[in-house]
Amino acid sequence: LPAGLSQWFPALEVLDVSGTGLAEMGAELLSLPCLHTLLAKNNRLGGPGSLPKGLGQAPLARSLRVLNLSGNRFAEVPPVLLQLRGLHSLSLGGNRLHSIPPDIQELRSLEFLYLGGNFITSIPPELAKLPSLKYLVLCDNKIQSIPPQLSQLHSLRSLSLHNNLLTYLPREILNLVHLEELSLRGNPLVVRFVRDLTYNPPSLQELAGRTVKTRNVPYAPSDLPENLVRYLSLASNCPNPKCGGVYFDSCVRQIKFVDFCGKYRLPLMHYLCSPECSSPFSSASQSSTSQSESDSEDEASVAARRMQKVLLG
Amino acid sequence: FRYTRNLVDNGNGKFNLMILCWGEGHGSSIHDHTDSHCFMKILQGNLKETLFEWPEKKGNGEMAKKSERVLRENQCAYINDSIGLHRVENISHTETAVSLHLYSPPFDTCNTFDQRTGHKHKVTMTFYSQFGERTVC
Repeated sequence: LPAGLSQWFPALEVLDVSGTGLAEMGAELLSLPCLHTLLAKNNRLGGPGSLPKGLGQAPLARSLRVLNLSGNRFAEVPPVLLQLRGLHSLSLGGNRLHSIPPDIQELRSLEFLYLGGNFITSIPPELAKLPSLKYLVLCDNKIQSIPPQLSQLHSLRSLSLHNNLLTYLPREILNLVHLEELSLRGNPLVVRFVRDLTYNPPSLQELAGRTVKTRNVPYAPSDLPENLVRYLSLASNCPNPKCGGVYFDSCVRQIKFVDFCGKYRLPLMHYLCSPECSSPFSSASQSSTSQSESDSEDEASVAARRMQKVLLG
Repeated sequence: FRYTRNLVDNGNGKFNLMILCWGEGHGSSIHDHTDSHCFMKILQGNLKETLFEWPEKKGNGEMAKKSERVLRENQCAYINDSIGLHRVENISHTETAVSLHLYSPPFDTCNTFDQRTGHKHKVTMTFYSQFGERTVC
């Protein structure tokens, strides 16, 4: 970027440097107080110096609303980007990302997140902490599973998951009541019943976490190291209505097919907090027909009917 | 948050002429064309068209792809039910796409197909806007 940028154009609000071969954007950006939209797609950004140091302290950190870095060479989300507190819209489509940093949750104002066309293999549960996220695009990646915590994205309207490596979905996806669009094509979703997967016994940390949550042991952020406070906030509720327990990483997983009025059969993964929880749902014969299962069938079929309108072919 | 269908002209009931606007990553379902002629021209960007065979009567397996191609700016394509079914997608993660569609006679329902099973499902198609005015549902 030319060195005199902020002197010549102090009132600049929109800067589009897409398709210019840019490899670095430096301090010239830091003194643009009015910039709300920065489009830098199809460049050679991705190495160190792609974004200036000190971005978090610049006026840009609060003023920037839209950032488009699609079609570049980012192999990881630059940490300095996560300091853009005012960002509403972020696109890193068509880069070389292998993962999403948990600190993505710092982008508290984010409404639109486009990460399609990367090499992402998993989604951190912290992504679900973005309170305003409406539109999440994760298509054309290598994602193998969706964390159940994603159902905490209460504002989510549109979720794009097509062309990934999903074999099942978490049952919690039915909880996304505001979801209007969901794309799932091009995933190897299992079509046949899959037997119970291996149950890994819980770690001591998990057992302690479960106790804290189910017994409502009070704690404040000052009582525990930050990583444990974060861990406790990721508890998931056991869907077995007779259990009321929570689980973190250790759970029994069971695939149940939810039939969308005979049109689609989506394999939903039920996470139960222990093998004892599986009895109300499925009989010992491990039958795959959903008619025999009672409890959650009604809530599942209501949710399924709503989801059917949402599923994009 | 999906591609939009914007009606431009309804040719006194003889045809529908519309403009489709595709965001990055937006794609259609696999669909038929309710016995009508369908012409498509790319006005901006690129669209991938994947042709499929009609599923067998009982439709119980993965649908068979016939061919696929990427249509570039200014290219045209034509399809009708005797040719087959198709899915149209903007596979770009950086560029939007715009296409012009002519359907004659006009139709407002079609069947969408589940690629994994061949099951079809009748849907009503809606417009995002008509003659420049946003259509309120």
